[in-house]
Amino acid sequence: MPTKPLTPQPEDPIRPHTFDGIQEYDKRLPNWWLVTLFATIVFWVGYWTYYQWFHIGANGPQRVELAMSKIEAARLAANPTLDDASFWKMSRNPELVEAGRATFNATCVACHLASLRGKDENPAAIGPNLIDQVWIHGGNPTDVYHTITSGVLVKGMPAWGPVLGPRKITELVAYVFSFHKEGEPIIQAPPDPVVK
Amino acid sequence: MSDKKITIEFNDGIVRKFLVASVIWGIVGMLVGVLIAAQLNFWQLNFATPWLTWGRIRPLHTNAVIFALVGNMMFAGVYYSTQRLVRARLASNFLSNLHFWGWQLIIVSAAVTLPLGLTRGKEYAELIWPINIAVTLIWVVFAVNFFWTLAIRRERSLYVALWFYIATIVTVAMLYIVNHLSIPTSFTHSYPLFGGVQDALVQWWYGHNAVAFFLTTPILGIMYYFLPKAAERPVYSYRLSVVHFWSLVFVYIWAGPHHLLNTALPGWLQSLGMTFSLMLWAPSWGGMLNGLLTLRGAWHKLRTDPVLKFFAAAVTFYGMATFEGPLLSIKSVNALAHYTDWIIGHVHVGTLGWNGFMAAGMTYWLIPRLWNKPLYSTAMANLHFWIGTVGILLYVAAMWTSGITQGLMLNATTEHGTVLAYPNFVDTVNVIRPMMLMRGIGGALYLAGWLMLAFNMWKTVRGAEPVNGTIEVFEDEPLVADEKITLVGTFLNPPVAFSILGVGFASAWMFGGDFVSIAGLTGLAICVALAYIHFESRGKKWADWYDRLLVNSAPFTILTLLAVVAGGLIQIIPTVAANNAANVEDRRQIPYTPLELAGRDIYIREGCYLCHSQMIRTLVPDVLRYGDYSRLGESIYDHPFQWGSKRNGPDLARVGGKYPNVWHLRHMENPRSVSTGSIMPTYPWLLTNVLDEASLTSKISVQRILGVPYPNWTPEQIATRVDEQAKGIALDLRSAGAYVDSDREIIAVIAYLQKLGQFEKVAPQRTVIAPP
Repeated sequence: MPTKPLTPQPEDPIRPHTFDGIQEYDKRLPNWWLVTLFATIVFWVGYWTYYQWFHIGANGPQRVELAMSKIEAARLAANPTLDDASFWKMSRNPELVEAGRATFNATCVACHLASLRGKDENPAAIGPNLIDQVWIHGGNPTDVYHTITSGVLVKGMPAWGPVLGPRKITELVAYVFSFHKEGEPIIQAPPDPVVK
Repeated sequence: MSDKKITIEFNDGIVRKFLVASVIWGIVGMLVGVLIAAQLNFWQLNFATPWLTWGRIRPLHTNAVIFALVGNMMFAGVYYSTQRLVRARLASNFLSNLHFWGWQLIIVSAAVTLPLGLTRGKEYAELIWPINIAVTLIWVVFAVNFFWTLAIRRERSLYVALWFYIATIVTVAMLYIVNHLSIPTSFTHSYPLFGGVQDALVQWWYGHNAVAFFLTTPILGIMYYFLPKAAERPVYSYRLSVVHFWSLVFVYIWAGPHHLLNTALPGWLQSLGMTFSLMLWAPSWGGMLNGLLTLRGAWHKLRTDPVLKFFAAAVTFYGMATFEGPLLSIKSVNALAHYTDWIIGHVHVGTLGWNGFMAAGMTYWLIPRLWNKPLYSTAMANLHFWIGTVGILLYVAAMWTSGITQGLMLNATTEHGTVLAYPNFVDTVNVIRPMMLMRGIGGALYLAGWLMLAFNMWKTVRGAEPVNGTIEVFEDEPLVADEKITLVGTFLNPPVAFSILGVGFASAWMFGGDFVSIAGLTGLAICVALAYIHFESRGKKWADWYDRLLVNSAPFTILTLLAVVAGGLIQIIPTVAANNAANVEDRRQIPYTPLELAGRDIYIREGCYLCHSQMIRTLVPDVLRYGDYSRLGESIYDHPFQWGSKRNGPDLARVGGKYPNVWHLRHMENPRSVSTGSIMPTYPWLLTNVLDEASLTSKISVQRILGVPYPNWTPEQIATRVDEQAKGIALDLRSAGAYVDSDREIIAVIAYLQKLGQFEKVAPQRTVIAPP
């Protein structure tokens, strides 16, 4: 930082008129500034030509639909056949159960509570008990996998498939069934009375 | 001309009034800002009280700092500098006082109505329609007072500061009126004329240009007067002033759609918004350059003079904000940053850094001159500068970190990009909470600095004698001596003619299609080439003409208006003409039932849209998280639109049917009972307030006028429909163990939320709204 005021260069043109004592130089526009201005104008012409005039670039909806169809395909390809036996096996795998617990505590506890006992622990809870033998929508691991994936909207169970994906849901099933024994009696709940 | 001189006294009383008001309202606005920042960390600070809850007082913060702090500061600066730049006293004492007291009354009524939940539901345009009319009238008072003063000026030529003031006055009037067109349903409520995508476009045309023409151009004008005064240095470049002024006012208007990138807004508007934002970079930096380079030769004064410190920092922050703006307007950057704290950080570089520091610098410069007494404490002013700067840096660094962190988390996928890495929105919020806390601390430091300003001002002014500036003029000096430029002469000259031709050809190229496009681009190239050749050979003619324009305020104002009108017309007219129910993509919104409409008005009253968007963008992470992307037909009946601008909570465009009614009840009563770690306030009063059914008759009749296809129901028919639907929801809640009377507001809110995302399939007629 200079300590002395710079004396204006003699070639600096200064405007003849002053306003309330304010003077104005009339210096050239900096080249880099002009280049920036012109470059952005050229970019505008190119961008508009690419996207709006010749429609070479895909628009937002086209791009997202293409990407989503790829994701759908990848999901279908990645999903192995899961049967009850393999789920029971997973429910005894500590790593999978631990991963399932993390997802459960982040996603499911709001309705089913951390104890998994839901309404049986606190009548104000939205979700039913998951560790008794009474299953409302089927008590086989594959049933539960389906319930989590597709949800039961009328009962307030959101469809978690699109959000969590197959791997996390598989882990959730493993976690829930880690509280159960293979071959335990499964009781189908009676049809729900509309108004209690 | 006789040699006899007379002394003219300026009206500096009005400047003092506006200056004091600006400092006081600044305290109020920033205090509310610190409170709402703290509420995001500690939901308990909403105190379960309607008028203290975030959604209602956030508009109070924005309106207070924009219209009360910067508004009053702008009027003080404009009135002080204009009188001196034109060597004449303000035209009318009466109008000046009416302007001041009218404006303060507007601010007070805003401070009362906003916490009461009286709002239009559009950002920075929340005030209800009677206040809108008052604002318009007072703005006209300001305009008349200003232009009348120009008309009786002794200084023939208009200095650059005045150009910016003229642009401010005409453009704010245009923006404000168009975005506030509404049809009242009662004395305190109205629906905006535009709906859905139209409303979105008009809102952000206004919102973006409120930043441009309320927070930028008047402050640039103030910079052009006060900075060279304080630095005692000539302005760096007159021709840079000319080029950056005209490019700024012309380009700014087009950039509004950058607030709606990757949304259902038609692609051509998004492309305009992005490219014009990039073209805005250089014009904005022109102002920064002229400010900073004027300080050449005066840098040594910064060490001792707090005024210059504030000005230099303010102009630097202006440069940062106007570099960041175009950057954020790039669609791919925007995909990360939009709806996050990065935008909040960007805005506050401008408001705290540019507006706040310009206001502080100007105030410190004016106080000794308006009260004829040295500032009470220069050391305290210097401390204000440093504490304010630290506050800004903490604030902005926190928001950058927070915005980028949350943006990356929200967009992160796992399992080869097929699944969200962080499916729970609230997890991403909790990660940024330390940054939100730091933002609050930064804001509090900034407020502390501002309190020092107020204290310093109080100590200086107390007991001081107000003093008014004077000038000596010749007794019979002619007031104005315009060489008249006729209307034809205004347009038929090289600079204007080439500009109009160029914009015409560019429009033909962009919107003509086929041969018209080719002809347009060719014409544009030829036009630019000819203009260049003409300028190189006859540049003197251009300069002479501009000198003549500067002694003619009316043609100058007309050309300014023309420059700002172009972008708005080209964007808004095709959208308004083409946006109707018969012309949507493949989906059309199903109109709300009366109960749902009532719920929607409560949703707007509580300011839910300030934290929850209703717009799933055409981006994979948005679609994975919230469902299929939003089509423009899905909000076509929304007056006002509710696309939102910030996600402190998740998007709600398709929340309908996702959770049971009882979930929503529990969630509104206490969000943490169903969503662990939520930062949302509680809304217990929705469970006790009785729904206002009576107003639905006039609301639905206004909706019919606006084109929403409601049958011609009688009030009884409306009441029956409301009761039926409400009882159904209450019954469902009871079956889930929750007992709420069916006439409570919460029932309407649940009905509305469960409706969100419902549409009917229609055969596609035109896939996009294209300009004709």
